[in-house]
Amino acid sequence: MSNLKISQISFSYSDKTILKNLSLQLNKGEITCLIGESGSGKTTLLRIISGLDRQDSGIISYGNETIADDKIFTETHLRNIGLVVQERALFPHLNIIENICFGLNSSKREKIKRGRELMDKFNILKYESFFPHQISSGEQQRVALARALAPSPRVILMDEPFSSLDRALKFSLRNETKQILKNENITALLVSHDFNDALEVADKLAIIHEGSIIQVGEPRNVVLNPINKYIKKQFVCETGDILYWKSIINSEK
Amino acid sequence: MFKSYFFLFFLFTSSVFSQEIVNLYTSRHYDSDIELYDKFEEKTGIKVNYVSGKGKALIQRIKSEGLNCPADIFITVDAGNLWRIQKDNLFQKIKSNKIKKILDSKYVDSNGNWIGLAKRYRVIVYNPEKIDSLRMSKINYEDLASDEFKNRIVIRSSSNIYNQSLLSSLIYHNGENYTKKWLLNFVGNFARKPQGNDRAQIMAVANGEADIAIVNHYYIGIMLSGKAGQKQRESALKVKVAFPNQQNRGTMVNVSGGGILKNSPNYKNAIKFLEFLLEEESQRHIVSNTYEYPIIDDLDPSPIIKKLGSNIVEDSLPVEVLGEMNPKAVKMMDVAGWR
Amino acid sequence: MGNRLGVLSISLFALLFSIPILIILLSLFNEYSENWFHIYNTVLSEYVLNSFILFFGVSVGVFILGVPTAWIVATSDFKFKKIISCALVLPFAVPPYIMAYSFTGLFDSYGTANELIRTAFDTADNYVFFPSIRNIGGAIIVFSLTLYPYIYLISYNAFLNQSRDIFDVSRTLGLSKIKTFFKIGIPITRPAIVAGLMIVAMETLSDFGAVEHFAVPTFTTGIFRAWFGLYDLTTAKQLAANLFIIFLVLIAIEKFSRRKINYINNSISNKNLTITKLKGKWESVAIAICLIPIIFGFLIPSSQLLYWTINYKLSFFDQNLLYTIFNSVYLALISGLFCIVIGTLINYLLRINKSKFLSLLNNIITSGYGIPGIVLSVGILNFFLFLDESLNVFLIGTVLGLIFAYSIKFYALPNSSIQSGLKKISVNLDDVTKTMGYNKIKLLLKVHVPLLRNSYLTGILIFMIDVIKELPMTLILRPFNFNTLSVSAYTYAADERMVEAAAPSIAIIMVCLIPIFFVFKSIKETTDE
Repeated sequence: MSNLKISQISFSYSDKTILKNLSLQLNKGEITCLIGESGSGKTTLLRIISGLDRQDSGIISYGNETIADDKIFTETHLRNIGLVVQERALFPHLNIIENICFGLNSSKREKIKRGRELMDKFNILKYESFFPHQISSGEQQRVALARALAPSPRVILMDEPFSSLDRALKFSLRNETKQILKNENITALLVSHDFNDALEVADKLAIIHEGSIIQVGEPRNVVLNPINKYIKKQFVCETGDILYWKSIINSEK
Repeated sequence: MFKSYFFLFFLFTSSVFSQEIVNLYTSRHYDSDIELYDKFEEKTGIKVNYVSGKGKALIQRIKSEGLNCPADIFITVDAGNLWRIQKDNLFQKIKSNKIKKILDSKYVDSNGNWIGLAKRYRVIVYNPEKIDSLRMSKINYEDLASDEFKNRIVIRSSSNIYNQSLLSSLIYHNGENYTKKWLLNFVGNFARKPQGNDRAQIMAVANGEADIAIVNHYYIGIMLSGKAGQKQRESALKVKVAFPNQQNRGTMVNVSGGGILKNSPNYKNAIKFLEFLLEEESQRHIVSNTYEYPIIDDLDPSPIIKKLGSNIVEDSLPVEVLGEMNPKAVKMMDVAGWR
Repeated sequence: MGNRLGVLSISLFALLFSIPILIILLSLFNEYSENWFHIYNTVLSEYVLNSFILFFGVSVGVFILGVPTAWIVATSDFKFKKIISCALVLPFAVPPYIMAYSFTGLFDSYGTANELIRTAFDTADNYVFFPSIRNIGGAIIVFSLTLYPYIYLISYNAFLNQSRDIFDVSRTLGLSKIKTFFKIGIPITRPAIVAGLMIVAMETLSDFGAVEHFAVPTFTTGIFRAWFGLYDLTTAKQLAANLFIIFLVLIAIEKFSRRKINYINNSISNKNLTITKLKGKWESVAIAICLIPIIFGFLIPSSQLLYWTINYKLSFFDQNLLYTIFNSVYLALISGLFCIVIGTLINYLLRINKSKFLSLLNNIITSGYGIPGIVLSVGILNFFLFLDESLNVFLIGTVLGLIFAYSIKFYALPNSSIQSGLKKISVNLDDVTKTMGYNKIKLLLKVHVPLLRNSYLTGILIFMIDVIKELPMTLILRPFNFNTLSVSAYTYAADERMVEAAAPSIAIIMVCLIPIFFVFKSIKETTDE
């Protein structure tokens, strides 16, 4: 039961190829983690899925509905796809509950109800009337997630959502996020460079390298059976401790 | 780089030339005046330096410069301004037999502090198709408040010094109480909110927006001359000019005039310059360019202006009236709602 | 220690700088004459009401013309975008009084536009198609058209400085581009826009020429009336001081609104905004929206002027003109550089040492912008008189005096661009530099000054444009035989001899085009880097 299907996407920007025939499938309710180094095209893929950029070729479809191909292009605001960015990008002129309810179209009462419900889940109910600059970065991240989830998007895209948090915070936030995504049964694509994100949150792990997906599978399985040295090194560098990493590199010489 | 800029300061600030000079502050800002300065230099070798600006602002500058004031002569287009300078005791006597001889004494200040240089009349412009010319030949300023002219008059705003002077003269001749009532009715006769300058009023009459406008006479001259374009000439041809109060005290006249400042550093040159301005040739130059009336006898105004009328009876009110009454006139205008 | 000495000496200098303004302000403590009460009782309420309507109308006008165009140019791509984005700044080159003249030349009952209609439809001689524009509505239109480029430039800059994420997220949350503009774009750039509106307000409320022409008596009319009509300079100064206090209050409100949303700048990201390529209908709409202010604010008035010039006064373009242009430009340049130096020193000291006194002085000089030039020149004349009597330094009628006057009047412009430039430099950078053994002077010269390059450029160029357009102070304070472009234009325009004033007006516009081009280029480069 394929949900969001990305097939044969290519994209280049000022003569630089960024994505090359990239294909990926996201299944309903599944959390997929896309891992790659910076410059591998992760963020671009998210922008293309959300309609902020348009692919040069390839098709994006949701169920039976084509969202974007050579002819059709559904505007971002009509795609119903949520986005969480690394810098959170909270609206500085709105307080927390206004931020969370920003994408809701219902009556004021229902908006507040939905907003509070999400705030409760993320444990940020007490910050309701605070402004973004008054709360910590972990709390800001929660708000950003809650804001993206509020309109119950078909798919939620997350760009490095945990990368600027300290370890303890990462740990708890990963758990919370996973639980909430599962409860709401939302399809999610999480982009990261950290294999721990994949191991702790994702149902599926995809590795992107130079604009293409080079391996997809169950996270533990990918990590334990990397198809090439590149992925292995990548994994070891990101997760292992420094001495172990050095010894591996040296032994390979 | 900075050195050269400081050099430039000197260039502009001091007269580094050892040439004879006369320094002028003037609120007349006509190209033709500048031509006249050149003629003066040609004739006498004396260079005319000038700063032009608004009369009241120049007075302020003269006061601030005090003893250091480099100006020899102050020339302005309103006798009220001359009176201000005189009241602050910033003029000195003009000692020149030549001037005494040329100029009718009514255009010389009684203390000999300043002289007139050219005349301008506050006249009535009307649409001959709407108003009988015979009626207009007998018109008085006083009549403009009558119901006859309801919604037919256009005039510029009361900020204008010529309007203030006109009202001052009316206060002088008719008294405050009469003028207050007159003013209320007069303002009630306006065809539109005061706007634009005198030229705009003439255009409004030519264009049928109103039947009567009160303006300085030389605007008609400029427009008729075609210097301001064919359109303005055509408009000016559609209207006629009436000089008010010809059967009695005469038409309100104001002068362009000047005097020598107290601390004049080049007094002799200043005298020469004033004398030069009164020479027939200079006067002819002025009147043929600005369409003012000459201040000296025996010289006709520009032919265009001469057609409007000659031997005009002039209101001989003392010039200090224009200065002294002015604040009163302004306040009266405010109360009457003339904006 | 050195620190305190610096603050002290700069404060003294700033004090010197603000004396002419203080002279005007101190008139508040003079006795109020019967003239004051006369004005107060008869016309002041009308003047204040007109000023308020004008201020409100122009604010709305510049907002409508400036902000959407800035948004379109910042976030989308369409045909002729480069030319259009530059051309949107052009009306800046047209001084309001000149635009007023050329608009009445066009739309008066006997104006060109009505003539055309009459000829085209063969109507009666006095048929009038266009409604009169000699009223407050006309004044609002003219001010909006000449002043919106401030808002356009400021909000364009502000949009470009936002992280694209915030707009992108809004769109993923279901808001179209247009809705995003209203719900995110405008609120988030509000502080910048409000700051721009302040400048517009000062410029509008201190104007005399255009409002006089449109027969809209405002506060400035009262000032002139008191001085020129009632011969009462003190009352004139008192009125100006009252206007000044209104500006101080406005500045305080602006500071307050800025403080509340200051944190926006903390999230500056170097990601360029998402540029949407417009096609078809939307492309035409975008081009149309951008063309309206260009056509009405620049093309129509300047072609009217050009028409007059070609028909009547081509002789103006001789070598004398070069001399006049030189005067205008070098005066503007020197006083601009001077303001940049002073502005940098004051704002740098305020950054490293929050002296309340210096900050107050800086605010006072800044609001000099809101004092009508001719009143400010009275303060300057008084100040020069004092210098002459006490120090035997004579400045009236010197180029130095003019430079001083321009600097006081327009200091606000470079100041605001330096201020916003400094705000963008992180305090951490100062700390890191200090640990590397740089003292405060070296920090300023080696770190801040290079980083402020673009702020300097924008500040000085906008300053120069305003100086080139400036009239009343130049008239009264200039040396003998000294002409600038605006003086040449005024010589004729004062008599509504617009036909003759057209040539110098065109020259002003042409000279201003050069700095305008550079301003725009500098802003673009900052963001393209």
